Amino acid sequence: MIDRLLRPSTWFAVLVAIFLLTPILLVVLFSFGKNQLTTFPMGGVTLDWYREVFDWPQFWSALKTTVAVSGTVGLASAITGTLAALGLIKLKEKTAGVAISTLGLPLMLPPLVIGLALLTCYSLIGMPLGRISVILAHLVYTQPFVIAVVHARLRQMDYAAVEAARDCGATPLQAFMTVTLPVARASIIGGALIAMALSLDDFVITFFTLGGGNTLSTLIWGMLRTTIDPTINAVGTVIICLTIGMTAIALWVTRYRG
Amino acid sequence: MLKQRQGWLSAAPAIIVFAVLFVAPLSMFFVVSFWQVKLFALVPTFTFANYAKTFQEYSGSLLFTLVIGLTVGFVTTALAFGFAYVIRFRAGKLGPLLLFMALFTLFGGYLVKIYAWKTILGREGILNTALMWVGVIDEPLTMLLYSPFAVIITLVHYLLPLAILPIYGSLIDVDDHALEAARDLGAKRGRVMLGIVLPQARFGVIAAFAMSFLVSAGDYVTPRLVGGTQTSMLGNFIEGQFGLRMNAPLGSAMSFTMLVVCLAIIIGLWFLSRLTSPR
Repeated sequence: MIDRLLRPSTWFAVLVAIFLLTPILLVVLFSFGKNQLTTFPMGGVTLDWYREVFDWPQFWSALKTTVAVSGTVGLASAITGTLAALGLIKLKEKTAGVAISTLGLPLMLPPLVIGLALLTCYSLIGMPLGRISVILAHLVYTQPFVIAVVHARLRQMDYAAVEAARDCGATPLQAFMTVTLPVARASIIGGALIAMALSLDDFVITFFTLGGGNTLSTLIWGMLRTTIDPTINAVGTVIICLTIGMTAIALWVTRYRG
Repeated sequence: MLKQRQGWLSAAPAIIVFAVLFVAPLSMFFVVSFWQVKLFALVPTFTFANYAKTFQEYSGSLLFTLVIGLTVGFVTTALAFGFAYVIRFRAGKLGPLLLFMALFTLFGGYLVKIYAWKTILGREGILNTALMWVGVIDEPLTMLLYSPFAVIITLVHYLLPLAILPIYGSLIDVDDHALEAARDLGAKRGRVMLGIVLPQARFGVIAAFAMSFLVSAGDYVTPRLVGGTQTSMLGNFIEGQFGLRMNAPLGSAMSFTMLVVCLAIIIGLWFLSRLTSPR
């Protein structure tokens, strides 16, 4: 342990982790600071910024929209993603690999292009903008995560057990509920939580497809352009807690080790 | 055969979502790039005028965007590879902890992260006050925020955890015995890296590079918030076509020009990596 700590290569990784964590920790730290400016010295400790945010009706309506959107996205992508993973496991491994990469393409493109393509398309077919259009837009790039996580879990599973259940007369649904689901449950939940965190985190696609109203991310976008006081830090901390909380639970239930 | 058909049937909802909400809108958006705008309404025609205009008016901005995107892509991929390599092969028991810390920041709020860098790099920001307090500088550094540097560091910070995932994923499968065998036979560290580790991790590395290059080349929020007036990227001009100017066809042509150029660069680098790595 100690000799590994002294290696320069370990120090490199530690520095990278510090680089990744520090900005996020600073936002959380300054959300409790008395000082009007986000800089040292931060003054005393206060909960005033949170009080201000929690007394603000717009915050609650944005939070409500966010919960509705990302909750639906999590559930919907859990369904389409799990069904896809169950289907792809029946195909040849190479075909399944190509299918998974293809369905993951939306993650490679800049969100700006996806958002604008959807906006143009929605307005051409006359689809009204709102929660539904945002949910549909998010679904296309959250389902690949569920597919990848669940498919990876199913690959480790012994498929003979499912076939045995089917041979003994179980319907496909019974076989799924009694054999497959107990094995895959954790990864389905984990995938859905990652999908929710992704949905919550997105700003660009939401901004173009929401129309009116606010989610937490479009709310913070508005604040970034009008205010500079630490209420932004408080809203930011709420977002960080929600996304990181979901990611942490997801990593824990799936026992992610890479 | 029946099993295969059942498989595709079960995957159908996901495929329909992909087709209806990704392939169709993107194809439609591509078609629109050949249309024109008259009196704020879209007119279906077939013209290359939008592409011509993109090259005439925005080629400088495209070039600048590519330089930023390539820099972010290379820096992110290099850091992500170094980090994933250390976690996988050198850090021992510390590895999982460090990986967990990195993945912790995966979705820590895209806008929140950009805002955090704004407060760190600003004139009265955390970095300047800290440096002045230590006594390294007397006057605050003004070139930190609102510069290409600010855009690059913010994007690297945002994309790094996302780039670590595919690279670490490809390093997991590298066979430890092959590495030991190579070392026992006297291979030097660089030779092991070039001959065994890199070829096997190539897919992950290319995926991480392609993702970070494309996403940063298409970003407009980061340059808007931390780039200042001199650092407008193509994304800012694309987004502008959908605000006041209402010129979706031009915005679409600019988007696809950017995508095609970026893809050409990625494919070129892919072939280059195949030429240089031993089989």
